[in-house]
Amino acid sequence: MGAREGAPPEGLLVVGVDIGNSTTEACLAVVAPDGSITYLGTDLTRTTGVKGTPDNTEGALKAIRGALASAGRSAGQVETVLLNEATPVISGLAMETITETIITESTMIGHNPTTPGGGGLGVGTTRSIGELGEQQPGEPVVCVVPHGWDFDDVAATLNAAVAAGVDVVAAILAGDDAVLVTNRLARPIPVVDEVSAVEKVPLGMLAAVEVAAPGRTIRTLSNSYGLATVFDLDPVQTRQVSPVARALTGNRSAVVVRTPTGDVTDRRIPVGELVLHGAGKTLRVDVDAGAEAIMEVVGRAQPLDDARGEPGTHVGGMLAQVRDTMADVMDVAGQPDVPVSDIAIRDVLAVDTFVPAEVRGGLAGEVALENAVALAAMVRTSRSRMQLVADLVSEGLGAAAGIGGVEGEMAVGGALTTPGVDRPIAVLDLGGGSTDAALLTREGECTAVHVAGAGELVTKLIDSELALGDREVAEGVKWFPLGKVESFFHLRHEDGTVEFVDQPLPPHVFARVVVLTPDGPAPVPTRHGLDHVRRVRREAKRRVFVVNALRALRQVAPGGNLRALEFVVLLGGSALDFEIPDMIADALAPHGIVCGTGNVLGTEGPRNAVASGLVRAHAALVAEEARCRSS
Amino acid sequence: MPEQLTAPGPRPAVLVYRHPGAPAVVLRQVCAGVEEEGVPTDVTEVPGPDDATALAHAAAGESRLGVGIGLDAAGAAAVHHGTLPEGTPVVTTPAQALSSDWRRVGRIAARVVKHLPLV
Repeated sequence: MGAREGAPPEGLLVVGVDIGNSTTEACLAVVAPDGSITYLGTDLTRTTGVKGTPDNTEGALKAIRGALASAGRSAGQVETVLLNEATPVISGLAMETITETIITESTMIGHNPTTPGGGGLGVGTTRSIGELGEQQPGEPVVCVVPHGWDFDDVAATLNAAVAAGVDVVAAILAGDDAVLVTNRLARPIPVVDEVSAVEKVPLGMLAAVEVAAPGRTIRTLSNSYGLATVFDLDPVQTRQVSPVARALTGNRSAVVVRTPTGDVTDRRIPVGELVLHGAGKTLRVDVDAGAEAIMEVVGRAQPLDDARGEPGTHVGGMLAQVRDTMADVMDVAGQPDVPVSDIAIRDVLAVDTFVPAEVRGGLAGEVALENAVALAAMVRTSRSRMQLVADLVSEGLGAAAGIGGVEGEMAVGGALTTPGVDRPIAVLDLGGGSTDAALLTREGECTAVHVAGAGELVTKLIDSELALGDREVAEGVKWFPLGKVESFFHLRHEDGTVEFVDQPLPPHVFARVVVLTPDGPAPVPTRHGLDHVRRVRREAKRRVFVVNALRALRQVAPGGNLRALEFVVLLGGSALDFEIPDMIADALAPHGIVCGTGNVLGTEGPRNAVASGLVRAHAALVAEEARCRSS
Repeated sequence: MPEQLTAPGPRPAVLVYRHPGAPAVVLRQVCAGVEEEGVPTDVTEVPGPDDATALAHAAAGESRLGVGIGLDAAGAAAVHHGTLPEGTPVVTTPAQALSSDWRRVGRIAARVVKHLPLV
């Protein structure tokens, strides 16, 4: 752009700096007196401190110096540094289960020990193995074996009891011994093992033990009428035990003990109403109705002025929690605290999800899938301290520094350097907390919107739906493709291709579903297969990014009509994701939109859009001044 | 019962090479770990090296399943797979271990055969 081979370009040295939530990017360029730009170099570093705080100075200076070093320039030559004005939004997340399964008395053990023993159904009275000698012949007995019994002793005791005429029909073991015991029994019976809280199994009660053949699931105890038959229940009682049958569905083995007061309740917690103020209306929606209904109502209340939850309900608590978090983030030392009541929620994204929760009162760590709603909410903030950061950068570098423009508009300018795009151009910035869209029309008008929900919400959904309980592992599942280690020397990728490796894979990943990180395969701690993990990952991305891409673009598109858009450029950290850009492009294709990941300056990919946009905006001002002077 | 050595059967099995001095209680728990997973074992007394990993490596080389267990005189145990270099066994336990550790050695050997995570 104007530079002759060999001769250094004439003009003033300008650095655009974009301080983001996670990375700080710099773009170094020479702007000639006529406004033409010669790009010299870029740099990228981790953001230091929370975005928009004085702590950012260190990272900003590092990025500026990095860009200067790559171009062989010194800080003394810099004319001015241009910082971005941060997007004036902060996002928060909340998740709440709306169902809960509680066993008020110990009535069922429904779990999948990897190796139960025997097969079939046994119904009898629970007796401790120590009492078996005193048992009268005739009455069917379910034998309960506590911790500390050796498998040979268990088998010998059971065989002796059977020889003495005791009708042992099933056994429940604390240890992992079911196959060992059944292999040594004279008369085969179903045996369920690995029941960690075996001491809580009530004795002297009627119990049913069922073990299915390998590859099968239980048929009787997972069927309400099967339970009614086994325990001779009347219609009222059958209705009461039907949650037990549902909870046991899909298991290979199960135990149901009938206790006089026992019942399983399938309680639905009142979730409450979400009250949305916007577009001069006040709309109410029951959160129970699900994400689709909520989002439909949110759409009708655009632009949203505030959202509140009914006090004393779950949704009230969720939004209060979001507001409290945001008040903390917005508080500035030396200034009065932001009153929580002043924080207006400007956008909400609701997502249906499910949370595997341990059943309260279960005896073997049983898990039930509970329905849940995740809410991402976003508030506007007027308190930006980027000017303070600019002052500190100026001091540290010894050059002028100021605010060069607002993020959304700058991003569009930077995106325009992507080869093959033209106005009207829309950018989608797929960030961590919010998804931002900006449109630059053919006439040069720019509009920007921010919607709640982005990468953080995807991580949270993956974390809870796979019950990982570890944010770092969930991040790994989000960022990297999956594989299955099939032997010490080969692994199968999620697309089915098989790769042979030269060095043996470590035992801790053997036969595991793994994420293929740059540092090698890392195990995903789950019993689910690769396909399930993949489905959860893709669904989380679709429900957040595809939904939000369409929502944000509709808000900037003329008349809300996506067909009026021509070029959509994806930017931001999640535009580097290996599948999100494809998922969004697929969703936009029916609307005749050209959509792809940006390639800023033809070299930077989806990075550096705001930083180079700041340089472009500055160059446009220089050109404007030049025109004024000449005329 | 646990002292009894089984003859190689028509079916493939996890081979256990035990040093003649290996404690019977260790052998019993290791074999129980394999059996609980439903995989057969063949036990051979090997008077050669008194080193669990070397015994396991030799056993894995002979096993038609490619999986071997070695028990040394002191009671240390190792699991090996035929494709792995001798120096990198699948798992080892020291001589002074709990019976749950020995059970785990057997379980891991069986789970290598069954291609299940080694827990």
